[in-house]
Amino acid sequence: MSQPLRRDFLYGLGASLGSVAFSAMLADSARADDDDLKGSGRNQEPHFPNAKAKHCIFLYMEGGPSHIDTFDPKPKLSDLHLQEFQRSGVEQSAMSSGTRYYVESPFQFAKHGESGADMCHLWKNLAGVADELCFYRGCQVESVNHPTANYHINTGNQFGGDPSIGAWVNYGLGSENQDLPGFIVLPELAYPQGGAANWSNGYLPTALQGTPLRSQGSPILDIQPPAGVTREHQRQNLDFLQALNQEHLRSHPEHDDLTARMKNYELAFRMQMEVPKTLQIDDESQATLDRYGVGVEPTDNFARRCLLARKLVEKGVRFVQVYASTWDSHDYLAKAHGALIPTVDQPIAALIGDLRDRGLLDETLIVWMGEFGRTPDNGIRGGGQAYGRDHNPDAMTIWMAGGGCNAGHTIGATDEIGGQAVENVHHVRDFHITLLRLLGLDDNKLTYFHAGRFKQLSQFGGEVIEDLIA
Amino acid sequence: MSMHGRVLTSPLRLAAIICFVATFPTPAQSAEPTEGEKLFALRVQPILREKCFGCHSDEADELEGGFDISSRAKMLAGGDGFGDTVVFPGDHELSALMPMISREDVGYEMPPKEADGLTQEEVWAIRDWINDGAPWPSEERVAEIYALYAKGVLVKTSGGQSDQWTNRKYEPENLWAFQPVLREFSHDLDLAKRNPIDIFIEARLESEGIQPAATADRVSLIRRATFDLTGLPPTPSEVKAFVDDARPDREAFAALVDRLLESPHYGEHWARHWLDVVRYADSSGFANDWERPNAWRYRDYVIRAFNTDKPFDLFTLEQLAGDEIQRWVNEKGVSLDDVREVHRLIDEVDPDELVIAAGFLRMGPWEHTGMSVAKVTRQQFLDDITDSVGQVFLAQPLQCCRCHDHKFDPIPTRDYYSIQSVFATTQFAERKTQWLSDENREGMKEDERQHQMRVQANEAMMRDLAKVQREFEAKWFADRNLPYKTKAEAKKAGVDPEQLPHKSLKSAADFGRERIGRKWRTRFRWELDRYQPYAFSVYTGKTPAARSQQSRFVMPTNPMAKGNLEKTVILPGGDPFAKGDPVKPGVLSAVPGGLEFELPESPHGRRLALAKWIVDPNNSLTSRVIANRIWTYHFGRGIAGTPNNFGATGKKPTHPELLDWLAGEMVRNDWSIKNLHRRIMNSDAYQRSTRHQDVKQLDQLDPKRESYAVFLPRRLEAEEIRDSMLFVTDEWNPAVGGISVRPDMNLEAALQPRMIMGTFAPSYVPSPRPEDRNRRTIYAHRIRGHRLPFMETFNQPGSETSCELRDQSNITPQVFAMLNGEEANDRALALAHRVIQETQTSDRRLDRMQVVRRLFELVYSRLPTERESQLTLDHWQTMAERQAEIHPQKRVWPTEVIREAVDENTGEPFQFTEQLFVYKEYVPDLQPDQVDAVTRGLADICLALLNSNEFIYVY
Repeated sequence: MSQPLRRDFLYGLGASLGSVAFSAMLADSARADDDDLKGSGRNQEPHFPNAKAKHCIFLYMEGGPSHIDTFDPKPKLSDLHLQEFQRSGVEQSAMSSGTRYYVESPFQFAKHGESGADMCHLWKNLAGVADELCFYRGCQVESVNHPTANYHINTGNQFGGDPSIGAWVNYGLGSENQDLPGFIVLPELAYPQGGAANWSNGYLPTALQGTPLRSQGSPILDIQPPAGVTREHQRQNLDFLQALNQEHLRSHPEHDDLTARMKNYELAFRMQMEVPKTLQIDDESQATLDRYGVGVEPTDNFARRCLLARKLVEKGVRFVQVYASTWDSHDYLAKAHGALIPTVDQPIAALIGDLRDRGLLDETLIVWMGEFGRTPDNGIRGGGQAYGRDHNPDAMTIWMAGGGCNAGHTIGATDEIGGQAVENVHHVRDFHITLLRLLGLDDNKLTYFHAGRFKQLSQFGGEVIEDLIA
Repeated sequence: MSMHGRVLTSPLRLAAIICFVATFPTPAQSAEPTEGEKLFALRVQPILREKCFGCHSDEADELEGGFDISSRAKMLAGGDGFGDTVVFPGDHELSALMPMISREDVGYEMPPKEADGLTQEEVWAIRDWINDGAPWPSEERVAEIYALYAKGVLVKTSGGQSDQWTNRKYEPENLWAFQPVLREFSHDLDLAKRNPIDIFIEARLESEGIQPAATADRVSLIRRATFDLTGLPPTPSEVKAFVDDARPDREAFAALVDRLLESPHYGEHWARHWLDVVRYADSSGFANDWERPNAWRYRDYVIRAFNTDKPFDLFTLEQLAGDEIQRWVNEKGVSLDDVREVHRLIDEVDPDELVIAAGFLRMGPWEHTGMSVAKVTRQQFLDDITDSVGQVFLAQPLQCCRCHDHKFDPIPTRDYYSIQSVFATTQFAERKTQWLSDENREGMKEDERQHQMRVQANEAMMRDLAKVQREFEAKWFADRNLPYKTKAEAKKAGVDPEQLPHKSLKSAADFGRERIGRKWRTRFRWELDRYQPYAFSVYTGKTPAARSQQSRFVMPTNPMAKGNLEKTVILPGGDPFAKGDPVKPGVLSAVPGGLEFELPESPHGRRLALAKWIVDPNNSLTSRVIANRIWTYHFGRGIAGTPNNFGATGKKPTHPELLDWLAGEMVRNDWSIKNLHRRIMNSDAYQRSTRHQDVKQLDQLDPKRESYAVFLPRRLEAEEIRDSMLFVTDEWNPAVGGISVRPDMNLEAALQPRMIMGTFAPSYVPSPRPEDRNRRTIYAHRIRGHRLPFMETFNQPGSETSCELRDQSNITPQVFAMLNGEEANDRALALAHRVIQETQTSDRRLDRMQVVRRLFELVYSRLPTERESQLTLDHWQTMAERQAEIHPQKRVWPTEVIREAVDENTGEPFQFTEQLFVYKEYVPDLQPDQVDAVTRGLADICLALLNSNEFIYVY
């Protein structure tokens, strides 16, 4: 019989007990605590059954890539280059104080594909799939500090503590895989600023939190037994443990959690086998490895994770977030962005092409963005040689591919120096809503009762950016 | 309202503040309203206002669909999509609004958020109103009709941003927490005869025909009580003493509770609950996640407060205004007779402790960096502390009122800013104090010595870089035949800086190291404050100019000399740059007495006044809130199920009279928390078994298990699991208090690079000595951005938001941590070793049966059954044989870690080697290579026991 305890008592890692079990458990807790779940009980059907995207791969360019030097060319800045920057407003942070100068992009731009997408010359491979991309230049955010901006993009709340997009998507759609979490994060070796709160489940059930697969060492902490302990060894210990638990269960038949916890041990034992298998990319053909740029520099690190993201999506993982750092080029923009773009260009282009070849691009939404854009201006550094760009919440470039997005279009625009979004301008909450919509979810229905009100990813609602949807 | 004495004011006088209007309508001034007019005034307009105006009136940033529903004419004019067919007066069937609000018109459901959807009754009200011609009486007329006919209760407050809000009525049941605490009860409550708790609980059981479960057995009871009060299991001898206690059950148990309440570990365990509520951490969070090197003194203050049973009213006063009281005490500017609390404080408390206590005000995450905007971060603190005080002491989350009058509760946005105004003169400072006589300073020298190794290594690196820089500059000037040696010298001599080399370092490695070195120098220096008697605290004064924080905040000599004396205004929409009406310091006006309560407008004394209002016995919230919290931790559920939210959206109390009796009990007994523990734990309700004789009946009559017919089992909390493991292995160091220690963290997590603003954070390194590592988890260094994975996995809350009650989720990573993790495996081995050592006979023979018995006794507080013994002995034999085949190697710990990154100056990669000095002198816990296969085989058994349900759940 149900215990009147906290609502997320029973889940395995992710919806690892399967979506049927997952919704059954929701129903269980709804019975125990129906006030809490009224209106928030998501079944596993999307709100918009016609939505194409079933999965999302979110490529997070940590640090804030410069839109001006990647996808949003500003020739005007060449005219103004190193002239003194004119600004308005009060209450500036230290970052925008002092004398500053307009800074031109060090890169050349060209138009690609039938859609004529703008890209700087370093996107050699991405240019080949230009028509799969839907660029959005109208997004604005609020925070100019990395951790708060990261939280804002990932959870809709600058101060952290709320559920991340991946948790919401899994809450809405459930998982398709029995033995894998529905929300997997592939971080850099160093976690982004703000840490694990960037993939938090917030007030949603713990099982919905993102599981980071660490890029070095043990992918999940402690997933392997200590040295010397074989699988048989552990199985024997587990059998002994379960025998003790069985005895105990006999004296406490009233306590449901006992069997749930016992099952969890069996699931963990299976996962110890399954997860490492899933993470192997050795069985991929050499052609595939080469396509992504695995095994060669400078692409290897990001290529492995992009390839893994594809594998995870194939296995039914709903939401995969891949981090690439660090785009925070306050100085030496030409060098820093110049070095970074080639690390991600080929892997991303390969990911898009590979998914397309496998017929998965339609059902997989790819999102590329950072936590903010960058300023058209900078202080003079290194005698005008070391200039970079600072944080800019008012303009940025996001692009999407696959999953029913409006591929082949550039939506919205920034002003002539890239300082402000001026066309089709939306707060990032509207982008969140649009992202959910592409995945078949309605932000207005995907709510959860917490701390006295029904909460949602967008915080207080907003609107779909229709132009981003095909 | 009486501030000085504890004489209870008559409840009648207070009740008069809330007036029940609905029952006595005065005769109408004008003509009788029509049904349609009444519907509009009472039902329809409130719905429109709450559900529609946000997008369809001038409240909206942008009018949705071009449709405005804020007046009849605008409504009839319609919008872009449906033209003038939205509302057709007289015929709901022709009105396009109807299918939208009944959510039949797919794609146009209104309001869009499903959870906000109208109820059937609300839809009908609008339907009937339309059919009655959709009348829209004037504002005055609506107010008149509402006042006369609306059901519910009017609550007098300081006033909302609209008359409509000010005059709105509330469902009485949603106002329960704003009603005076009941002092008189229908039951005959004679403490000598029966524990009143049982009278209240049994009244409900009887009325619902539920039979309570029998009393739990003594073993279960001592485990339950010991975990509950100390967070640790009982020792076998304690269990034996209790089981053999010849006194009657009730008496024996009361004596047990008394003993446990005297344990210093009681305070540690209950302080942890409080620290969850106030969000304690040893770091600031956000981009830099700076250490708060003196926060531990607040943690220890809380532990002492529980151990000494500090009256909760004092505890509250000290945390909110300790520094103000201290100032009064120091300046002797206070009449001691006037403020009894202060009088008592002077007798008992070191004034410095008061300053430490005020650290409460800074518990939230906060930072101000070079990228921050001063007004924003200041407002962030003000909003944080306002909401925090609301949740922690009053169970009123106030955040909603930052932007608007509360949608459901009688809390106007004015009250929010009035409370905020109390903190407008509160400023941060690390204040110099003396060490307190009862502060534990053990291990401080040792910790400092270790810390200095890092400091020195970093300084050496910086010296090395300075040399590179000097040499470059000297050569640069020499090459140009310039008469300078350094840039500084040249600048001083007036050379245009643009003519000088931009940077004097060249290689990526040097730039990278310099960046790390500079940042770490700042961090390490600040961290040296750990060993200084600073208090992480506040003072009252003007708000100083903001600076990027890189070190402790220094207390100005004259806090009123420089800076801005903040004048609080209502911030429309919560925007820090907006300007609304000015407000004066105030309190929640809907709480009985709140409206009349006056606070000083002078900069000083505001917080003390607020605190005194909070702990006034007639405040209807405070005593209920704390009584409910205590109850919640004992039973795993609150009488009011949302301990941080007593508002309309919170859970209503299941036993309201009981809650009020407990609240009164608090106040009557000098706000003693220990007294409340005794009352609660000595009740039959607390001592009931978790098993019920008729589960079917219980499922039917009490499916939510809120009748207290059975006791609910609970899973140990994260810290309890670790502490209990250390306890049963006898490895733990029972010392109380002191600077934070660093337990072992999963090594991969500890050495994982972590980004802070601009560079890497130094690695997490454990305390090298087992006696430091193996202390209770409450002493573990709590870094917001780098938590112990073990704790996180077992639902230790993050310290961003207040945690009223922990989750008990059952997730797979917990299995990995307990089965494969180092912490659990080390403990299993230590337990095996301990038991073998303890049971060895004089001729060093191993009595395996005795070992197994001792093991069960330690872990489960009982002996094994015959079946269990056999099972265990057999498995031990199997595993000992297996272990004989394994030859564990001596473990080696890394003494350095290499970081790789791209230098931002050159765009080139560089490597940096961080020395892990701790591992050069690290004394590991017992390791597998130090024991024989039989012990390791037993460790397999121990690991299973520590993983078992019987160890992890308390009954």
